[in-house]
Amino acid sequence: MCDSERNFLNDEEFDAMLQSGLPEVPPEDIVQEVTPWHKAIYRALIGIAFNTFTLNFLGLNYILPAIASILSLLGFRSLRRENRWFRACYGITLVRSLYLFAQIILNASIYQSDFYASGLSKLLTAGSLGLLFLLFFCLWRAFIAVRRKVGLPGSAPGALWLMLWYAIILVMATVHYTGLILPIVMVVSYVLMIRSLLKLSRGLDEAGFAINAAPVRLSDRALTWLILAALALGMGCAHLFSGAYPMDWQPEEAHSSAEVSRVKEELLGLGFPEKVLNDLTEEDILACGGALQVLWDVQDHPVNRGHYLTAQEGTVSYTTTVYDVQELRITGVAVELPGEPESWRLFHHFQWVVDPGFTGTECMQLWPAWQNNEGWTSGGELTGRLLYDQAGQTLTAPYAFLGSRSYTSRSVFWGEQSSTDIFAAFSLPDSGENHRGYVSYTVDEVQDGCIISSWCNYTHQASTLQYPARTAMDVRMEGGGNRSGAFVTVQDALQFFPNNGSPELIG
Amino acid sequence: MHEQEIIALIRARDERGLSALFRHYGPMMRYIVAPILPAEQDREECISEAAMRVWDSIERFDPARGSWNAWLTALTRNAALNRARQLQREAPEELDPALPSPEPLPEEALLRKERQAELTAALNRLSRTERLLFYRKYYYRQSTAQIASELGMSARAVEGRLYRVKTRLRAMLGGENDV
Repeated sequence: MCDSERNFLNDEEFDAMLQSGLPEVPPEDIVQEVTPWHKAIYRALIGIAFNTFTLNFLGLNYILPAIASILSLLGFRSLRRENRWFRACYGITLVRSLYLFAQIILNASIYQSDFYASGLSKLLTAGSLGLLFLLFFCLWRAFIAVRRKVGLPGSAPGALWLMLWYAIILVMATVHYTGLILPIVMVVSYVLMIRSLLKLSRGLDEAGFAINAAPVRLSDRALTWLILAALALGMGCAHLFSGAYPMDWQPEEAHSSAEVSRVKEELLGLGFPEKVLNDLTEEDILACGGALQVLWDVQDHPVNRGHYLTAQEGTVSYTTTVYDVQELRITGVAVELPGEPESWRLFHHFQWVVDPGFTGTECMQLWPAWQNNEGWTSGGELTGRLLYDQAGQTLTAPYAFLGSRSYTSRSVFWGEQSSTDIFAAFSLPDSGENHRGYVSYTVDEVQDGCIISSWCNYTHQASTLQYPARTAMDVRMEGGGNRSGAFVTVQDALQFFPNNGSPELIG
Repeated sequence: MHEQEIIALIRARDERGLSALFRHYGPMMRYIVAPILPAEQDREECISEAAMRVWDSIERFDPARGSWNAWLTALTRNAALNRARQLQREAPEELDPALPSPEPLPEEALLRKERQAELTAALNRLSRTERLLFYRKYYYRQSTAQIASELGMSARAVEGRLYRVKTRLRAMLGGENDV
């Protein structure tokens, strides 16, 4: 048949020509690929393999389980009509996948750490692990059912090995096994698991042809894109609507009381910095009534990375980091209050003199005087507020969180440490100017002659790019360094010896 | 029982080989036969016939020329096509043009060989997925619905891709290089 003749063939004739033109024996790759189960079961098993271990770097602890869940879902979706055990596998995979996808979306929200610290999270995690074990059991029964359907002996040792392997891993995780041989145990376990999965897939080599793949309304590709789009949308919404604390900004009410004005005059007379004083609430001003003396210290801090400057001195060159702009001004103020025992009210005030752009969350972590020296004790409640100016008006808001928080952090140098610090957590609007705020507390003397040392760590979120979403407060509680991911921390301290009559500021 | 043991038993004319063939390769043979023969009884008869062909022509199986599965696939498919042809002879008004004549004339045989070489060359220019779709449709004679469910695609998507494959093949076999 010549080319021109072929071009005039109608569809039926062309089909007949194609069918008769095919080789008697099909190519080897085609023979291997044309099965009703190959694609489905391999997807399901690869999904299980990736879902059973995690690699905690480059975000693979999120990417691999997501891919694994989609693969398992597609695989079991195709097998779900074959028998009730495969249907159960599909149901379990669906539930576990939904939980994983919800976690992936939740991780884009700043509330994720609260959720993972909750009892509900622990319960759901335990449930998810239990479901994984149940999945292995159902898979084992499904394989047996398929083999029995075609009259083959009902055995699937691979699935049993998988269950045993997983049981060992669960026991090790439950008892927090941290022995030196753990890495070896893990590698051996992983090899055993891969072996089990290969055995499982071989178990269907003969019987798998009897499987009836379920028809699908939505193709695998469409479903995959739909899941990815839903995840992207969910993460986008979580980032947009819960990437920062909801703050209650209200216009500032003018001080009206004559008593407040009188105390303000007193404090100004003692040298209290006016800019800081103007930001205090009426209650905080009145709490300083009858003040005996005021000490203060101010320091500008950079949050930018600066640039390097190299100087040559003879044969030696020196490189220093130069900061053209120092965006954050932190002022520490100490007011000695009247009465016995000796009592000081301490203020840590911050002010952004250059707007660095605000996204996500900010945090002030205080190491109060009583934490650094046993000669002082807490003398009252924490107070403070936030302020910024917009269109000639000052707006104020309370902190999203202000109080003490106990936490355990892990450090390469210091190991595991438990602490209780003061935290003020908040978000600032990416509009307006002169963003500022303060935290104040009172210390009472327990022992004479002790230093007052009050530290303030201000953590600023410099980038919106972070996953999972952490708050500045999370970062501090994790014991991160001064530059940790999307966050920058600057440190400031108010330190002095409150000797009677002539206190000395340090530094 | 392993493939080699089954082959050895059949070669040794041991009937246990046939039982093992049914037990271990019966599902695959049924899978190949099902799209070609709609009636269950025809399928069972065809599988028995295919097994007898294996028994009779086992000496022609050469592992160097292809795998056991490929040989068994070809043999089973041929048995199914012959059975389908027989059934159609009984109802000549429904003769399917896709079923080739069982004994081609020497000229036809030569032409078929040429056609096979051309088609194989054209198929080798398709992607892996396209070849797979093509073989499922034209070699295994699977329905669009079966292909769709086994590949996790919608029936419409399968039809669309097959149409594109056919268009490409028509162009390639018609002498054009690419579409």
